Amino acid sequence: MDSDTAIGGPHDQFPSTQRWLLGAAASGLPNEALERVAALYWKPVYRFIRLKFRKDSEDAKDLTQGFFASALEREFFARFDPAKASFRTYLRMAVERFAANAHAAENRQKRGGGVEFEPIGEEAAATESPEAAFDREWQRQLFALALDDLRAFCDSAGKRLQWLIFEAYDLEEGDRSSYAALAQRYGIAETSVTNYLAWARRTLRGLVMERMRGVTSGERELREEMRRVWI
Amino acid sequence: MDLSDSVLDHLRVVAALPDLTGTRYELEGEIGRGGMGVVYRARDRQLGRRVALKVLDSALAGEAPLIARLEHPAIVPIYEAGTLPDGRAYYAMKLVAGTRLDWYVAKSLSLAERLRVVRRVGEALALAHSRGAIHRDLKPQNVMVGEFGEVYVMDWGVEAVAGTPAFRAPEPSLDERSDIYALGALLEFVLPAPPPPALGAIARKAMNADRSLRYPDVTAWLADIERFQEGLAVEAWREPPLHKVRRFWSRNALLLWLLTAYAAVKFLLFFWGRR
Repeated sequence: MDSDTAIGGPHDQFPSTQRWLLGAAASGLPNEALERVAALYWKPVYRFIRLKFRKDSEDAKDLTQGFFASALEREFFARFDPAKASFRTYLRMAVERFAANAHAAENRQKRGGGVEFEPIGEEAAATESPEAAFDREWQRQLFALALDDLRAFCDSAGKRLQWLIFEAYDLEEGDRSSYAALAQRYGIAETSVTNYLAWARRTLRGLVMERMRGVTSGERELREEMRRVWI
Repeated sequence: MDLSDSVLDHLRVVAALPDLTGTRYELEGEIGRGGMGVVYRARDRQLGRRVALKVLDSALAGEAPLIARLEHPAIVPIYEAGTLPDGRAYYAMKLVAGTRLDWYVAKSLSLAERLRVVRRVGEALALAHSRGAIHRDLKPQNVMVGEFGEVYVMDWGVEAVAGTPAFRAPEPSLDERSDIYALGALLEFVLPAPPPPALGAIARKAMNADRSLRYPDVTAWLADIERFQEGLAVEAWREPPLHKVRRFWSRNALLLWLLTAYAAVKFLLFFWGRR
């Protein structure tokens, strides 16, 4: 995991989300759903804040954490109206408002109202807009979580070989080995490589949708969001 | 797990592809996206022919079984429907080669040809409505014109998730009259600018925001277009007297010219006789 953006920082990957998850649970959403929201959206929110408000890593983490904590105190999740926007859009707009207010308050304290920008780092040099970066990170995190689920499932279901074939082919950077080369490397028939890949992709697809189901309001929103995921 | 952009994009592609394991089809490529799914070109290994394979986003086959029972030259035949190993519903259809209507009407076409195409679409809808099926997402992108002029209405029975607003009726719950609204919009789309007033009125009546003021059914809409083509007054338009005279003249031109010539000859003979 990328230590720079890990939830809670490099030495503490998950616990800091616990408080606001429990707060949200009290506002009517099940714990599991809230955990999924946090797991999926922490990184997109962090990246969006970094790019939109030009914050350094630590400030962006504080603001991200502050956003989720504040959102729960205000029953943010309970106020989500699926008729108006997708949850992803609703959350991003709320982040923008929250971070803009925090940014303005911080600058008022420092300069009596003047606007101050942080030094532009490598994040700000990126060419994509903060909104596009948010969506891109959302897709990346969605797949990363589903891949964790797939690996865990393969381990528990005795499908280690299927995972290895999938990892060697679909998670490979650059030029991919041929099916024949993979078959030779793992001592199986080439048709088995085809079948294992088909199974892994099908299962991954199901796991991606399962992750998404936990942060959408119903079938229609799920369908619309998945259209943004598949190419 | 960290994913690079290239791996992420690869996964977004391969996880979306339909898993055709255990089916008779072999994927060849994507044709397009619309309605609630993606249409692929595939090869039927058993029969050795190419088909269009529509893979829906959900496990529901939509109205595929109903559409499969509609036999009309303008309705693409469905060969088979089923469920993929990943749970998605699919159906295999005839692979249609042709041009989308929006591209087709961009060419210089006669008014008669434009009307032939929309009437063909109307006839397909009339049949579907008589069997209880509605289209829900009729628009130029869902109409194909084949190389021999055959017309096909595609993408039946799926509610447009992000449909083209210009062709979608304003009412939230769609029924047969919503299809009539779309037919009106389709007619307006194919007409040259400015359109003949009577045809413009037919399109506007079909597109009335109040569905009770639209044509009661597709047959009535077709009949009004036929009236226009036969030079008769259309139901949708109260024409001005001068227009009525002009239409009467052009409809009976030969007879009127003969009568005029007869009167002229009689007139000349009358004066010739008095000399």
